[in-house]
Order: sequence, then C-alpha cells, then structure tokens
Amino acid sequence: MLELRRVSKHFSGIPAVDDVSFTARAGEVTGYLGPNGSGKSTTMKMITGLIEMTSGHIFFEGELIQDDLIAYKRRMGYVPEEPYLYNHLSGVEYLTMVAQLRELPAKQSSDCIDGLLSLLSLYDDRHASISGYSKGMRQKVLIAAALMHNPELVLLDEPFSGLDVSSALVLRSLILELAARGKVVLFSSHELDTVERVCSRVVILHRGKIVADDSIERLRSLMELPTLEAIFSQLAVEQDTASMARQIADLIHA
Amino acid sequence: MRKLVDLAPLQVRILYRQFLLRVVDLEALSMQADIPRFLGQFASVLIFISLIGAVGLLTSENATATAEGYLSFVWRGEQALISGMMLVVGLIAVISWDSTFPDRRDVMVLSPLPVAAHTILLAKIAASSALLGLAIVTLNFATGLAWPLLIGSHHGSILGFFQAFAAYWFTMIAASIFVYGSVLTVQGFTALLLPRRIFLRLSAILQIVAFGLVLGAYFLRPSITTPAAMATPENQLVLAWSPSFWFFGLFNQLNGSLPVALGWLARRGWIALAVVVCGATASLLLCYVRTMKKTVEEPDLVPGARGWHWTPRFGSALQTAIVLFSLRSLTRSRQHRVIFAFYLAGVFGFALSSLRSALSTTGQPPLNADFLIATFMMMTLAVAGLRSVFALPISLTANWIWRLTQLRPSEKYVAATRKSLLLLAVVPVWFISALLSVSFKPLHAVAAHLAVLAVVGWIFVELSLIGLYKVPFTCSYLPGKVHVQVMLWVFLFLLLILAMSTAELELPSLNNPVRYICLMAILGIGALGAWAFNRHRAKSAVLYFEELPPELITTLGLVWIQSSSSQLGKTGGSPRLPTQMS
Repeated sequence: MLELRRVSKHFSGIPAVDDVSFTARAGEVTGYLGPNGSGKSTTMKMITGLIEMTSGHIFFEGELIQDDLIAYKRRMGYVPEEPYLYNHLSGVEYLTMVAQLRELPAKQSSDCIDGLLSLLSLYDDRHASISGYSKGMRQKVLIAAALMHNPELVLLDEPFSGLDVSSALVLRSLILELAARGKVVLFSSHELDTVERVCSRVVILHRGKIVADDSIERLRSLMELPTLEAIFSQLAVEQDTASMARQIADLIHA
Repeated sequence: MRKLVDLAPLQVRILYRQFLLRVVDLEALSMQADIPRFLGQFASVLIFISLIGAVGLLTSENATATAEGYLSFVWRGEQALISGMMLVVGLIAVISWDSTFPDRRDVMVLSPLPVAAHTILLAKIAASSALLGLAIVTLNFATGLAWPLLIGSHHGSILGFFQAFAAYWFTMIAASIFVYGSVLTVQGFTALLLPRRIFLRLSAILQIVAFGLVLGAYFLRPSITTPAAMATPENQLVLAWSPSFWFFGLFNQLNGSLPVALGWLARRGWIALAVVVCGATASLLLCYVRTMKKTVEEPDLVPGARGWHWTPRFGSALQTAIVLFSLRSLTRSRQHRVIFAFYLAGVFGFALSSLRSALSTTGQPPLNADFLIATFMMMTLAVAGLRSVFALPISLTANWIWRLTQLRPSEKYVAATRKSLLLLAVVPVWFISALLSVSFKPLHAVAAHLAVLAVVGWIFVELSLIGLYKVPFTCSYLPGKVHVQVMLWVFLFLLLILAMSTAELELPSLNNPVRYICLMAILGIGALGAWAFNRHRAKSAVLYFEELPPELITTLGLVWIQSSSSQLGKTGGSPRLPTQMS
C-alpha cells in the first residue's frame, strides 16, 4: 500500500502541492486527476523520490520511503509524463542500460527486453536510434523500462500519451492485469473515459489540494452526476469552456 | 560586417543570426549564449597564434645570409603559413559539420513559414562565411602584414610590398575556400546521392575521416624548400597531391617569384579552386532544391546495423552501463565528438610528428626525449580532453533515469567513471604509443617507458577524478567557467614543462635498473595514493546532477547567533560571539 500523509511541496514559497493525503492499495488502480498545473506530476515525482517534499510523509508498505530509498526504488516502476530518453541510444541499448543500472541478471533481462519489445511492436526497430522514434514508440520504451524489473508499485503519469489506438487498448488491459496481480497502480491521466474504465477509485486534485478522494461509483451517486467528466468539470474546471472558445475565435478574427 | 548584414533582407538577417549561433555551437564550446563574447575569445586565440608566428618569422630572418638560404627560409615560411591556414579552416569545417546544409529541424520549422529556400541558403552561407572570414583575418592579423613586409623589404620597393600583400591575402582566402569548399562538396554530393537515412549514418564517419585528413595533411607534410628538392623525381608525387604546395605555387605566381619549372603547381591551385567552387555551389544549390524535400519525406530514423550486435562487458553491470554510455555518447553526439576532437588533434599531432621523425631516420633510432615528451603530451591531452567532455551533458531531461536507478553507493559510480577514463583515453593512447615505439631501440628501454607511461596515465586519471562525483555526460553545465583564451595557454605551458621534466627524469633511468625501480616506485606510490584518496572521498560523496553557481553573497556564519538568541529566551543565558566564520 502506498500512503501519502500531509504531503506538501512549495516552489519559492508558492505551494504546488498542498497538504495532500491519500492511499493507493494493492490490487486496485487509483486514478490521480487534475487540470494542468494542479500538482499531479509534482506529486508523482515526490513519490518516486526525484524531488523532495517540503513537508509530509510517504509510506510504502508501512515504511517511510526515505528510510531506505534504494530498497524502495528497486520495488518501484515509473512512466514519466514526458518521454525524455537518451536519443543517441537505440531502444534496446537504452533498455539494456536500465536493466544494468537496476542490477538485473544479464540473461533474464535480455530475454525480458526482447519479449517486451516484441509485444510492444518495437522489435524490428530495436536497433534504430531513439532520436528517430515517434512519440508513441518512445512511450513504449518508457513503459518497458518501468516494468522490466516486475515492480510492486507502478506509477503511470500520462502513459497513453502518443500511443495509437491498438497500443492504448493493450496498455489499458495491462494496467488492469497488473492490478489483478497485486500491484499498487497509481495512474494519472487527462483521458477521463479511460480513467473511468480502468480505475477503482480516483483522487482529484485542484490547485494543489485534494477536492475528491473516493470510488467513482460513490462520487457519481454523491454528486448526482452521470459521468466522471461531469464530476471533474464541476470540481476542477473553473472556466466556461464554450465562452473561452468563442473568445479565442474572436481574438484571431476567425 | 554589421552594415553588410543590415543591407540584407529582414528574413536573411534573422536567419543569419540564428544560424551563426548554431555554426559556432555555443553550448558545445563552453560559452554563455553570447556570440560577440565567443567570437572574441575565438579571435583572441587566433590573433595570439598570429603574433607568435610573426615574431618568429621576423626574428629568424637574420639567420639567412646567402641567397639560397634566404629562398629556403622564404619557401619554408610560406608553406608553413599556408598549411597552418588550411589546418585551421579544416578544423572549422569539421567543427561546423552539417551546419551549411538544412537539417530536419530547419525543414520542419521553416517549411511551413513563408520563407524561400534561397533565403535559407543565403543565411546559411552568410553565417559560415562570417566565421570563416573571422578565422582568416585573425589568423593572419600579424603575419599578413609581417610576411609581405619581409618579402617587400627584400625587393626594396613599395610596389613589391603591395604585390606580396595582395598575393598573401588572396592565397590565404583561396586556400581557405578550397578546404571549406571541398568539405561542402563531399558532404553535399553524399547527401544527394545517398538515401537520407544512410547519409545520416555515413556523415559521422565522414566527419572523422575529414578530421584525420586535415591533421594528416598538416603533420605529415614534407618539407621541400629548395628548387633542387622541388625538382627531385621522388618529390613530384607529393607535390602533385598536396594542396598546400599548389597554393604555395599560386602565391609565388601572384607575387612574381615562381620559377618557371614550378608553374604547374600554380595551375593546379587555380584548377582546384575552380573545381571546388563549382562543386560546392552545385552541391549547395542541388541540396536546397532536392534535399529539403527528401528530408521531410524520409524519416531521420537511422537504421540499425543488421546482424550481430555484441555488447561487451566491462566489469560489473554498473561499470558496463557507464562505460558503454560514455562510449556511445562520445561517438554518436556531434557536439561531444567535436570537442573531444580538439584534444585528439593534439594527440594525433604528437603521434604523427613522432611517426614522421621516426620515418625520416634510417634504421632504428635510440629512444629519445622528444618521443617521451610526445607520449606524455598525448596521454595528458587524451585524459584532459575526455574529462572536459564528460562534464558536458548529453540530455539533461533524460537524467531522471540515473536518479531513479541509483541503487548503489557513490564510490561505485566513481569507480565506473575511472574505468571509462582508463578504457577510452589511457588504453588507446598507450596502444598508439606502443605502435609508434616499435621504430625505436633498445627494446627493454621501450618496454620500460611504456610501463612508465601506463602509470602516468593512471595518475592523470586519478587527478582528473578529484571532485568528479557525477556520471559522465549527465550533469548540467555552467557556461563560462572555462576561460579558454587564458586557460588554454596556461594549461599547454604547464603541460609542456611537466612533460619535459618527466622525460628528463625518465630518460637516464631507462638504462639504469636501480634508478628505474626508484622512479616506478615513486610513480606507483603516487598513483596508489591518488587512488586511495579518491576512493576515500567518494565513500562520503553525494552524486550530483546539477552544477550550481557559486554563491554571490558570502555568508558570515552568523546564523547560529540568531538561533542562540532564540534559545536565549528559553535558557536565559547570554550568546557567545562566533569564533569561526564560514
């Protein structure tokens, strides 16, 4: 179980994440939602240990992650929001390097990499430079790198970004499969339809604060709204979207 | 120059500034994004070389008393100046590789905009010409005046000076255009003839080949400085295929001092210039008409080499990962390759000089101080070059993976970095030195020197590891830290002194077992001490991925007074004054 207790992050005194507490349990997919700039990715980076918290505590399986960060990193897989990779390496070189850095046995990791590349339809381009990969191909490399060591905690920040329909369907099923096999899955996305299909419960963030933390079913009945999109719009969208669209069209004299 | 630029259309002016920024690759050359500052530093280095050259020429003239001696001196000087100019322009052409042709970024960004292909071409040529012009003017800043004065004074007329002046500058410009144009022609036609994906792969290899050719042409250039030597049959092949001699002929033809028998050299110069100008123009025009479309149509996805992909192991998994990452970054990143090439130029220069001196001697010469100095210089330059390149990041945004997978203590990362330096700098230089030393005797002295060189390489590696608690190519870079215009000369001066002193110490000991054992013992203790020091420091070090600027405000260490004061209220005691300030 992953637990955040009163976690905050301030940048130059400005709170990006403010007093956030929630729990993600093994065997279920927890959706982490919010508009742009609400603090989702900052929270994800704090959970990975990439950035430090200003205050609060993060526990994994009852232990503070900071107590043994190295052991925690061994058990965690992370797909970042942006597909930042070393462009001068090929797909297979990058994954092999990650396997070596994760101290995976050479033979086992080689088989696993080949298998993942085949299943993700990257095998034919495995020796091509990442600089030539499309956004979707890069995303697949990130997914393979995050999963190859069989992590107990899977953190997915916009994992569907750039994926084609078929790959997105595979990933959607994969997320459910991982949860079914007892992993803790924390999943952040703007694709509310996918979130609704995949997640057992959602945490909605707005301006760094949690505005909802419950199962989708309960939120629907509590707020008397039919869809997650309607719930999200009510809780986290401030603008009148139609009016804003009209203003943009007016501005460019369309 | 600025007025000339202002005359161009607005689009050309805007693009020219953008392209100039990329031609000089500011990020690559460790400067702040400030073109005038960078160009100033670049110019100051070349002016310095020019001044040294001019002083050397003017002071050595008195040594030539006879007419034959004077001619030999003049020809040697002319050949040195022309080949020096060609070397500098050749290196610039290698550094600014690809910058005159449109790349995918240009095409994708500029194609949707209402910018004509010829506007892009004009701006690219203007940017390349600006850099080339700066190099020509500054490298000949002093010699361009001193040499015509020297020749003119011998003629005894003011007209002689003006003729020599015009011939000198024309020849330098022509030789520069020839070298730069040759590189453009080869690149342009390769891009035209090959599919883009293959061209991208071949381009990096061509760059290395061009680099080797430029250095080889300079350092292996024979000295043919008398009419008799020029007429010797065995020298005809060298003269016929060495462009620096063609432009030597061209200069003397323009100056009116070319012997009739050497008229063919000048003709070759003219023909070569014409061919290259036509070739470069044609390839540039065709590239802008054809390649820009091809660039969009064909993806930049470089095909993987088919067949066998062998990944060697270099110790533990971490060491293998870091060594391979370093090797791939060095060989595949143009930016890093180019900077390392600067240092490699020195390494190859010394190697080729040693080879040349060995080849010019009949039989096996005894091991001498020059060879020892050359090998020390090669070793130091290779280690220093690699250490400098390690400091430049390849992709800061992708560094998260190192942080996320940091599962081992820092000392393991330092050990892996040490292995990278040893394998990528020390081992290759050691092998080159071993190959070069085959031509020297006696064998036991050669073997003894190679052992010393290996330990010296190790010491250099340990010295360069002090404070290096980062993974190669991953830490952010603080521009402007390296003041190249000052530090380069200080470094080279100190390096030369060190190499000479080491050679002086080593040479007598190579034939004296007791002295040699003492020398090796001292070096070994030094290497082990440095290794132990680095290992001890690395144990408590924290790996860093961000280079932070030094604090502008120095704190006085008074913070604890505040805390003491706040405790005062609790305890009722009086605060002590700080005894130590930070």
